[in-house]
Amino acid sequence: MELETEADGKHEAEMQTETIMEMEREVKTHTEGESVERDPESDTRTGEVKRERETEPVRVCVSGSAPLLWRSADLRLVRERMGIVGTLVGSLARQPRQNCRLGRPLQLLLEEARLLKDTGRAVLVKGAESECDDDRVNVEVEESYTKHLQHSYQEQGRLALEEKKRVLERVMTERLRDEALTDQPIRERLSSLKSSFSFPHSAMMVQLCTARARLGYAPDERDWLAADWPLPRDNKQEVRYRVYQDLRQQGYYITSAGKFGGDYLIYPGDPLRFHAHFIAVCVPIKSESPISDFLCLARLGANVKKTILLCSPSETESEGVIYTSIQWSGMV
Amino acid sequence: MADCAEKGPAAACENDDWSSEVLSPSELFAARTRDHKLPARGQKDFLPDGTQRQSEKLRRGLEEHWKLVSEERVERQGSLVKAEWKPKDNVVVLKCPAGKFWQTMGYSEQGKQFLQSEEALYLMECGNVEVFYRELPLSVQEGYELMLSNRTISLQQYQVFSHLKRLGYIVNRFDASAVPSLYERQLNLVQRRDKADRHHRKRKRSRSPSRSKDTPEGQSQTGENTEQKAHEDAMSSREESQNSGSSTCMIPSERAAACSMEVKQEGTSEERSCWWDSPLVPQSEQAQDRQPHSPQRSGLKWDFSRISFPNLGLDCPLTSLQAPDPGLLPSAVPARACDVSAWLQKLNLREERLSRREREQQDRERQYKRGVNEDREVRSCRNWQDYKELLQRRSRQSCRKWPAHLWNEAVKPLTAPGQATSTGDLLQQIGMMQPSRLLDEAAGLVEDSGGMRISFDVYQADTVAEFKKSNPGKPYSRMCVCSFDGPVPDLRTLKRLAFQSGDVPVTYAVVDNGDISFYSFKDFQLPTDCCH
Repeated sequence: MELETEADGKHEAEMQTETIMEMEREVKTHTEGESVERDPESDTRTGEVKRERETEPVRVCVSGSAPLLWRSADLRLVRERMGIVGTLVGSLARQPRQNCRLGRPLQLLLEEARLLKDTGRAVLVKGAESECDDDRVNVEVEESYTKHLQHSYQEQGRLALEEKKRVLERVMTERLRDEALTDQPIRERLSSLKSSFSFPHSAMMVQLCTARARLGYAPDERDWLAADWPLPRDNKQEVRYRVYQDLRQQGYYITSAGKFGGDYLIYPGDPLRFHAHFIAVCVPIKSESPISDFLCLARLGANVKKTILLCSPSETESEGVIYTSIQWSGMV
Repeated sequence: MADCAEKGPAAACENDDWSSEVLSPSELFAARTRDHKLPARGQKDFLPDGTQRQSEKLRRGLEEHWKLVSEERVERQGSLVKAEWKPKDNVVVLKCPAGKFWQTMGYSEQGKQFLQSEEALYLMECGNVEVFYRELPLSVQEGYELMLSNRTISLQQYQVFSHLKRLGYIVNRFDASAVPSLYERQLNLVQRRDKADRHHRKRKRSRSPSRSKDTPEGQSQTGENTEQKAHEDAMSSREESQNSGSSTCMIPSERAAACSMEVKQEGTSEERSCWWDSPLVPQSEQAQDRQPHSPQRSGLKWDFSRISFPNLGLDCPLTSLQAPDPGLLPSAVPARACDVSAWLQKLNLREERLSRREREQQDRERQYKRGVNEDREVRSCRNWQDYKELLQRRSRQSCRKWPAHLWNEAVKPLTAPGQATSTGDLLQQIGMMQPSRLLDEAAGLVEDSGGMRISFDVYQADTVAEFKKSNPGKPYSRMCVCSFDGPVPDLRTLKRLAFQSGDVPVTYAVVDNGDISFYSFKDFQLPTDCCH
């Protein structure tokens, strides 16, 4: 992964200097199924790995009715290639007891998961319900885990020993410089280090994996069929999905807007650096609403300083989505 | 992240999957000196303008973001509490002694320590507990998949749970049977349950307000104490029945004695006869010889015409009261005479000194206001019944003077002058709608199977020091988890949940794709002009 970071960075900077139209073209080509390599400077090896990575579908794990992404590589991929932002909902590893910045898993909107699936970039999986009576211990896997742990312990012990030696040597050289002191006791400690050093098991560092590690059992993940989609596909969902698709193709970044009383928040660029400009409300084209609903939305938009966007997908697919913006202009 | 295929001596189980996120031992070792600070985020820009500066900032922001997000949890083996997931009971059993989190989370059973699934998952995410299943440690992803199901709690409920825990609140699962009922709360039984062991033996002094301060109560024998206490309970809770027959009959008389302020001594009576002698104490077991002064006795009726209450007013020079008949008092309570002159002195019999303004107001009022006591017709009433009839007669008379254009139409006024006796009564008569409270008619609502339910009890963060898992006390709020996809709670649901929660407010946590908003409904009454 570290090897690709450099290339990615360059690639990223390249992309950002181009306009948003460029990015849209990129997304469109992906949607069409081509895997276009736009990075001529990287060497062939990284290029190969990258191509592999691009074509291998991402696994989206569905928990209940929420699609989740667990691997950092997947999070990065969908954001940089597909412009899918999602929301982090887990505790951050560095500081778990705060709510400002959260960590993995990344929860996707249903529309985001559907877009990934439809473009072939992801497969939806669901962990099978663990059967209670299947408490068998797979001896092989357990043995390999124990071996892994043992190896880690030995390595860490060795590293700790080396570090201690380095520290002592540094102290010794400092004492040598200061000729008044003798380095005899240090020498003695150094020589007896190997025998006297102890690295208890409790001092060993252990990793608590976030995403499923291959060391564990892989519960039977079955790939989903269309019937297994978490919520029934009704008209409301179709409307939302078409609006989402259209906005994403135009290059906007989209997140959820429940707290703002709308369906989506629309950003002109990556939400990390830009504020949202629009609150998108999906309205079926043939629906009727009382004027008071629009007044509520207009008031809301004025209060939070965002433009309300009413989005209605037209009857035919080819005609796209009709957008109407509401802005409170005041009374003269 | 490590690309394991690249690094040095790989163990047999190290996989060659480039996407693995397992750290190598050197990385684990280096993680001891990791930075624990979160980088601050700068200001956002308004519009992307394609400049190099912006794209550079974005790139750096994203790099920092990925670095944070991809960091794995690394802990010292010694500081991890080992636990095991039990799928049959959907709980996690601890294998090592618990750490600091035991103060507010988990429960003990049969000598073992358990954690609920959401608590275990939260502690896994915090890096305090390592949960094993089938002898292998669970990753957080596997924890989510195994421990969050419809048998335990859902993902949305877990998101609310962890959000509140991260803020520092103490969150427990809601138990409907542990909510004290309205009746218990009225009787203050909730507190009594806690302090029952400590206090009930010490209670010597009664709480009854009608107890005379002159009646000696120091002499406490256990029999009398229980009788007193029983008397107290009967008066306050009305649920314990008196067991001894004699005390039953003594109740009314004791009450009568308590109502008066006097204790009269038998035998040394003054000219005035004791008021309790003439009546007829309603009992049959009372010994005849205990009341030598009572000549007349006819059945079980009080004859109020013959009872004369002692007059301690200004117009009566009586200053000493006789001791009461000891037969009227509980056994072993001695009776004695008392001198009420000290009490009389405490009465404020001074002339009321009005200010000039008040005097002027009084003069003005005297011109048109008639005191009700000076009304001749009122004075001729002998009791309340007569007075009420007088009032009704008067209002009927005034009826005849009502204007026809108001009262003979199809639409009549709501009330007539003089019909209401007070402002509150008047407002009641003209009121079209009655104010309702949230808990009206909430008692009988039945829970539907798919409806919303309360998930958690939340206790405040600053009570952690005194928090006891065995007796948590009254929660700060109760949480009901819903989502924006679902329906808005209707009035029926609000009433049902508010009733189920007792006197603790219910907060609705609405989860929208990971973002949580909290709403609550406040029950308040519109102010009225006066109390009625």
